[in-house]
Amino acid sequence: MNPYEEKDYQSTSFDMKTWKKVILMIIPYRGLIAALLILNVIIAGFDTLFPFLNKMAIDTFATGTFVESEFIRFGILYFVGIVIQAFNVYGFFWIAGRIEMKFSYKLRKECFHKLNELSFSYFDKTPQGWIIARMTSDVARLSEIVSWSMMDLFWGVSVMIFTTVMMLSVNWKLAMLVLMIVPFLAVISVYFQTRILKSYREVRKANSKITSGFSEGIMGAKTTKTLVLEDDNLEEFKKHTHDMRQSSIHAATLSAIFMPIVVGLGSISTASILWAGGNQVLLGMIEFGTLLMFTQYATQFFEPLRQIARLIAEFQLAQASAERVISLLESEVELDDTPEVKQKYGTVFAPKSENYERIQGNVTFEHVDFWYNEAEPVLNDFNLTVKAGQTIALVGETGSGKSTIINLICRFYEPKRGRILIDGVDYRQRSTGWLHSQLGYVLQAPHLFSGTIKENIRFGKLDATDEEIMNAAKIVHAHEFITSFDEGYDTEVGESGSRLSTGQKQLISFARAVLANPAFYVLDEATASIDTETEKILQNAIEHTMSDKTSFVVAHRLSTIVSADRILVIKKGKIIEDGTHKQLMDLKGYYYRLYTNQFKEDLEKELLKGDIVHAV
Amino acid sequence: MKQIKYIWHASENVHGRLVLIAFVVMIYTVLNLLSPLIFSFYIDNVLGNEPIKNVFFQMICHAAGGTEVLKKNLWTGFVMILFVYSFVCFFQYLRGRLNSVVSENTAKNMREELYNHLSNTHYSYHVLNKSGDLIQRCTSDVDQVRRFLASQYSEMIYSVCTALIASVLLFSINASLAKLAVITMPILIVFAYWFFTNAQKIFRLSDESEGALTDKLTESISGIRVIKAFHREVYEIERYDEKNVDYLNKTFELLKQLGLYWSFSDLICYIQILIIVLTGTIMAHRGELSVGNLFVFISYESMILWPIRNLGRILADLGKVSVSIDRLLEILEVPMESKEGLMPEIKGQIEFKDVSFHYDNQPYVLNHVSFKIKAGQTAAILGPTGSGKSSLIHCISRLYDPSEGEILIDDIPTTKIEKRHLRKNVGLVLQEPFLFSKTIHDNISIARKDASFQEIVEAAKIASVHEVIEDFEKGYDTFIGEKGVTLSGGQKQRVAIARTIINPTPILIFDDSLSAVDTETDAAIRTALKQVSSKCTTIIITQRIHSAKDADLILVLEKGQITQCGTHEQLIKEDGLYQRVAQIQSELEVE
Repeated sequence: MNPYEEKDYQSTSFDMKTWKKVILMIIPYRGLIAALLILNVIIAGFDTLFPFLNKMAIDTFATGTFVESEFIRFGILYFVGIVIQAFNVYGFFWIAGRIEMKFSYKLRKECFHKLNELSFSYFDKTPQGWIIARMTSDVARLSEIVSWSMMDLFWGVSVMIFTTVMMLSVNWKLAMLVLMIVPFLAVISVYFQTRILKSYREVRKANSKITSGFSEGIMGAKTTKTLVLEDDNLEEFKKHTHDMRQSSIHAATLSAIFMPIVVGLGSISTASILWAGGNQVLLGMIEFGTLLMFTQYATQFFEPLRQIARLIAEFQLAQASAERVISLLESEVELDDTPEVKQKYGTVFAPKSENYERIQGNVTFEHVDFWYNEAEPVLNDFNLTVKAGQTIALVGETGSGKSTIINLICRFYEPKRGRILIDGVDYRQRSTGWLHSQLGYVLQAPHLFSGTIKENIRFGKLDATDEEIMNAAKIVHAHEFITSFDEGYDTEVGESGSRLSTGQKQLISFARAVLANPAFYVLDEATASIDTETEKILQNAIEHTMSDKTSFVVAHRLSTIVSADRILVIKKGKIIEDGTHKQLMDLKGYYYRLYTNQFKEDLEKELLKGDIVHAV
Repeated sequence: MKQIKYIWHASENVHGRLVLIAFVVMIYTVLNLLSPLIFSFYIDNVLGNEPIKNVFFQMICHAAGGTEVLKKNLWTGFVMILFVYSFVCFFQYLRGRLNSVVSENTAKNMREELYNHLSNTHYSYHVLNKSGDLIQRCTSDVDQVRRFLASQYSEMIYSVCTALIASVLLFSINASLAKLAVITMPILIVFAYWFFTNAQKIFRLSDESEGALTDKLTESISGIRVIKAFHREVYEIERYDEKNVDYLNKTFELLKQLGLYWSFSDLICYIQILIIVLTGTIMAHRGELSVGNLFVFISYESMILWPIRNLGRILADLGKVSVSIDRLLEILEVPMESKEGLMPEIKGQIEFKDVSFHYDNQPYVLNHVSFKIKAGQTAAILGPTGSGKSSLIHCISRLYDPSEGEILIDDIPTTKIEKRHLRKNVGLVLQEPFLFSKTIHDNISIARKDASFQEIVEAAKIASVHEVIEDFEKGYDTFIGEKGVTLSGGQKQRVAIARTIINPTPILIFDDSLSAVDTETDAAIRTALKQVSSKCTTIIITQRIHSAKDADLILVLEKGQITQCGTHEQLIKEDGLYQRVAQIQSELEVE
């Protein structure tokens, strides 16, 4: 089974270990929780008191001796009780809301902190949706449980205790008539609530199929039309809507059966109270008010019981959420600096950048072995020495290992065996922060953050002035198109840059790297997804800015790397050709074939675009 | 009004039950109000000595043989209450069951109608509308209506009935106390309505803030490489924290408002009860009200107040339901493609007669295009990006119709041929095909469900994708899409070719659908195709000269006009785009 699939809660067993961790998490809010518990006891107390006051009204004043001053005092006390209760209700919302929000806030914060600490391998293995679900729905459910649900549970228990005590002290015989129903009701409630919860899970599953059905129907409209699948698809969709209807009706019917059973059982109590209580009235043992009080208690008693049954079912769900959130928080950081390194250079979150040595740019791979999964080695005894200031191009097919080499240079991954030296020192003796803060990294698919263009460039150097930002943009020739926007540098780029073209995004991400003034550059297929014109602009920029700095360029399109100092052709984790463009062309080997083929295709495309009219 | 009409329309197979709900709820309400009356009867008339006013109880008493008999047999009260409650429970069950049957059936009808409507609207509708918005409407707006039928509808009836019937009963018992018993009702309704109408803004703020928080999270996870490579972890944590704090504050504000609402409306409810308890007690003391009736007043009061408070909230929510229905009607009012037209047997001759085409209010994409492809011929259309190649194809399969001129298939204008019939005869492979999240097997056989495995493999082999599929761990049973493997652009194109050719059609069109496949595979596919589909008319849209070379007819399309037309041998001699491209090709080969 896929470890990231939503696990159904198969076990109804209570996992102490998980809840212990949850309890540790809520300890910081013990003050608020204590306040809430006390408030709950008071609320439950008043809830129990009001039926008793009604009894008093009837027994003491309506049928008993009516003393006006006492009656006024009674009225005032009743009113004060109501006002206090109203404040209690507000206080309850305030405190429970505070706990819920603070707890979820902190949990999200810790998860996010953790995410920034985790290494690349985690993100390569874990689907994005999984992480997001942990930090949204699971965190929400868990915080609801530790605030509202826990308080509901506590309220329910308190009301039941108070009511029991009250009933027993007033008339134990009638009290027994109410209490005798409890065991039946408890068993039935737990039985139904668990089933109801499970059946709603089925509903949610069916519902997600409906949503994806709509989504495919709408996104695939063109395909559906051209293959004339309208009727077939509708038939298939009808299966989902049918499932949805059946599972929803099933779930609702369970509730529709459960509720009357609770009411029915309660009515047995009420009816017995009339019978037995009536006889007691005849015998003069109790008065009418007591009868009224007991009927009110009988109905009031069963609401908390039903709630508790619901909460027990919810706690089972929350346990699964807690397990998943904890699994995220406890994920192992695969790539971490040693304590000695942290001592000198600080951690990711508290870097001691004053101790960072400036990187010259000499990079050496020494007998490096690497694999993502042990059965399929990617690099085996890989050796490479790069002198500071050189531009190194990596060429090869998908899966040849060139991206792995880049990942290792950037220390997104570390060698399994052997070592990588930067300026003669094993980079594991320095911190990741040291390396990354001097790295200029441009990805194949440029990633921008929502915000303005200016903010995106400034990401490279947080304290950069507007002038520095503009200079960086000018260096990569992005200034022209940026200023052509109405709002210039303050233009919003949209969600992950959606308002810009890929080429524009790439130029901005390039400006971002340039602004960082890195000691060395890594361009991971940075020009693969942009048009020829932008590519030429970029090419100039690259040559200009990287001339005196070590840089690694992975390129799909070979025209971009013609001027590199060294071109390495990688095949199955080995360097098969190594030299300048001219040397490799003269070799008439792999590189030569690749280059001429691409050249042909490019020319053809250019021509069809009408750019070159008389190329020959 | 049209909203009610829509609900009526959508619930067509459950009309009877929709009406029945109203009756069931009314009966339920009445039954629910009976038990305090029984109590009151026993307290006042059986245990006490008040005269019986209620005709119904007089009858019971008479049948039993007087109050004395009942007094000695109090179990009769027990039985009466259980008797009433057994009906209460039954009707409560009926209400819950009917609610769900009606709402789920209606939701089912709505979903199916929307789905059917959307798949039969004109293609242009899908081009113009955002898919996210449409999906949102089909899911959450439908759910809003479903929820209305599942609870709010019967809840409304229940609230109104309880309030009315209880008030009538209370007024018949004691008019002056009854007046006091209903004074806070309007306040409660108006307050709840007012609060929830205004609270929608705060709800929205909280929702938006949550959305922004999730967006930020998504963005950070997808940009984690950039964050790490720039060593910006601390910075990102701060930015996430800003959103996190904002959500904390906005939602806490919402909870505080809710707390205010609940505590204040609780206060009103309790004060109302207090008024009745105190006044009733005084009246009972003075002998103006019996104890049993005081009991009825107190019991009814708590039975009325909570539904009434709820009514205000439901009324506030009705606005949302109405907006949702409007949004659904917007979709359903969009015209559908007509299913009228000729259904001739198609041989495959295609003729463009002076065809021009433009999208709404935009410049012409095709300009007076004329050509003729005989049945069984292969034609290639070559042209730069944006020259109108795809529009030309869209017009053949009637995703759009020409703005001027006409397209004839076997001498019949396409506009006279029924769309689905036409499309069934035109195998069109799109440049960016959409694969459904099913197995590869099911994707290939999607347009021909009865295809044997043999045939599927055959089609995959022709499309040069069989070996790729075999390489997957689960072969043809590999799941594509969100939960399965993602195919590369070229692999998708080839699966799309397989699913198209598995259904032999007289006309086969490749809309640049080999663009992501390398030249050699491209050639292999074309050769394989030639063998199985030599009789069908084939149109290949391409940017590669290789792919066009062997065609019987090559059309060069530039800026919406056909600039060159002929065979490879003819065009190579003509001064023009084709020759220039071909020349480069040969120059390179010589070198």
